[in-house]
Amino acid sequence: MSSPPTGVIHDIGYRHYDGVRLSRGYAATALALNSLRGVFGLGRTARSKIIPFLIAAVMLLPAVVSIAVMALLKQQAVGYSEYAVTMQAVLALFLAAQSPYLVAPDLRFRVLPLYLSRPLKVLDYVAAKFVALVIALFLLMAVPLTLIYIGELLVELETPVKHAEYFSSMGGAVIFAVVLASIGLALASFTPRRGLGVASVIAFYMFTLAASAVFFGVLMSEGQDPAAKWSILLNPFFLVDAVQVNLFGTEPTNGEGYPPGLGPAAITLLVVALALGALFLRYRKAASS
Amino acid sequence: MTILATEGLTKRFPRVTALDQLTVVAGTGVTGLVGANGAGKSTLIKILLGLLPASAGRASVLGMDAAVQGLEIRRSVGYMPEHECLPPDVSATEFVVHMAQMSGLPRTAARERAADTLRHVGLHEERYRPIGGYSTGMKQRVKLAQALVHDPKVVFLDEPTNGLDPQGRDEMLALIRRIGTEFGISVLVTSHLLGELERICDHVIVIDGGRLLRSSAIGELTQVTQAVAVEVEEGWEQLARHLTEAGETVAVEGRLLTVQVRADATFDTLRDALCDLDLHLVRLEQRHGRIEDVFK
Repeated sequence: MSSPPTGVIHDIGYRHYDGVRLSRGYAATALALNSLRGVFGLGRTARSKIIPFLIAAVMLLPAVVSIAVMALLKQQAVGYSEYAVTMQAVLALFLAAQSPYLVAPDLRFRVLPLYLSRPLKVLDYVAAKFVALVIALFLLMAVPLTLIYIGELLVELETPVKHAEYFSSMGGAVIFAVVLASIGLALASFTPRRGLGVASVIAFYMFTLAASAVFFGVLMSEGQDPAAKWSILLNPFFLVDAVQVNLFGTEPTNGEGYPPGLGPAAITLLVVALALGALFLRYRKAASS
Repeated sequence: MTILATEGLTKRFPRVTALDQLTVVAGTGVTGLVGANGAGKSTLIKILLGLLPASAGRASVLGMDAAVQGLEIRRSVGYMPEHECLPPDVSATEFVVHMAQMSGLPRTAARERAADTLRHVGLHEERYRPIGGYSTGMKQRVKLAQALVHDPKVVFLDEPTNGLDPQGRDEMLALIRRIGTEFGISVLVTSHLLGELERICDHVIVIDGGRLLRSSAIGELTQVTQAVAVEVEEGWEQLARHLTEAGETVAVEGRLLTVQVRADATFDTLRDALCDLDLHLVRLEQRHGRIEDVFK
């Protein structure tokens, strides 16, 4: 004996929404969060997770080795403040691989007009993308640094725990993240093609790397030390390291030292302002077309 | 109730004048905006959304000034652009949820609304697959869903039937009609085909070269443009002669006769003519007035 069916499907028709409508800030935060997840390939295809996770793993390697060395040899292997500069190629690779993802598809597939048809301003959109990349880069540096710090706290070394150096390196990581993110996004936003974006960020890094090394070498050999120290700042990683050294009193990673004073900090601010200005103008133009 | 209004709206670009002293008013229901490509339809929508400043004149949506209250307008308006605007590597569900959040809906509400809206536009199991693999018809539905997901008071649909096959076109038009009636959301829909808008609109605005050509309730417009197309296997010359003698206006384009409908009697005359001449009828259909007809 079968019981009569109890489930019934009702076509309830169209229902209006009378719940809350949150502010612009909420939308921008949601966009930033979505972008941050996307940078690491979360919520995307398996293939797009490979590169960010591979790079994150490589970033962690020195920290793991450092902890092992601390545990076994009771010695510190990698310093906090030199971490980012030592790993600069890896960070540059991450920046080149992931910053085009944040900006290029929305331009290429013309999703931008949809964002702008919502209660969002161009500035909100750009800020959300920028913040997402800053946080991603910061995490990339802060996680290994924090691991080393935890290792140092747990392993009893003969030298005292370098609290100050850890915290100043975290501050440095914020500056690194802001400078790299602004340059990466500005460069990537100028082309809707992702491949070109990757290439232009890599090319920019290689150029600054080579130019700073060549100028530094030539000027040093001619005995013009101050000029050489300025010229090495062409590489954004050394530029930020110089800010770290002058602001937090960390050890210079280039072995020779940097120009003293607020010069490097002023240049850094100028670079960030220029890059963000270009980014904003780029989007204002894209929005009106 | 006035949904949107413009007054002397003018938009000049460096090389062209897209809108020229345009003054229109649209009320609730479905309003059609007809014009050839480049007539200024998309420019008008962008100004109404507060995304483009006007060179002169004023525009308002739901009583809000488009020049200064763009954000508030965009909170209660949905927009479906003419061009493709979907990322290929996410699913329709994820994309529409994301767009709902961008309109300020909390995540749980966004999920519910996205599921509801996608069902209403007719996307079912395929909504979990990446958009890149969708057909044009499905993509158009996703574009429509993202415009409706935040339950706007008005939607601007820019050429929603673009690229659709005849069946897809009919389904899309039926859906737009439902949005305007059943859903209670006012619609401004653009097209370059007056004929297809005739079927779903309450009111039609025709613009050309950025100027208002005519703005009228649909009843007045269809009377002007009503015509039937007749195609017969052979003997069309005979039929044309016969109808002309009966006092009808007949235009011949190749083998196709277009007969202007003066009154209901025209249909009777046509039927009788076909029977009397014993012709094999291939096609008899209502001829949708084209934009060109209004210009005449």
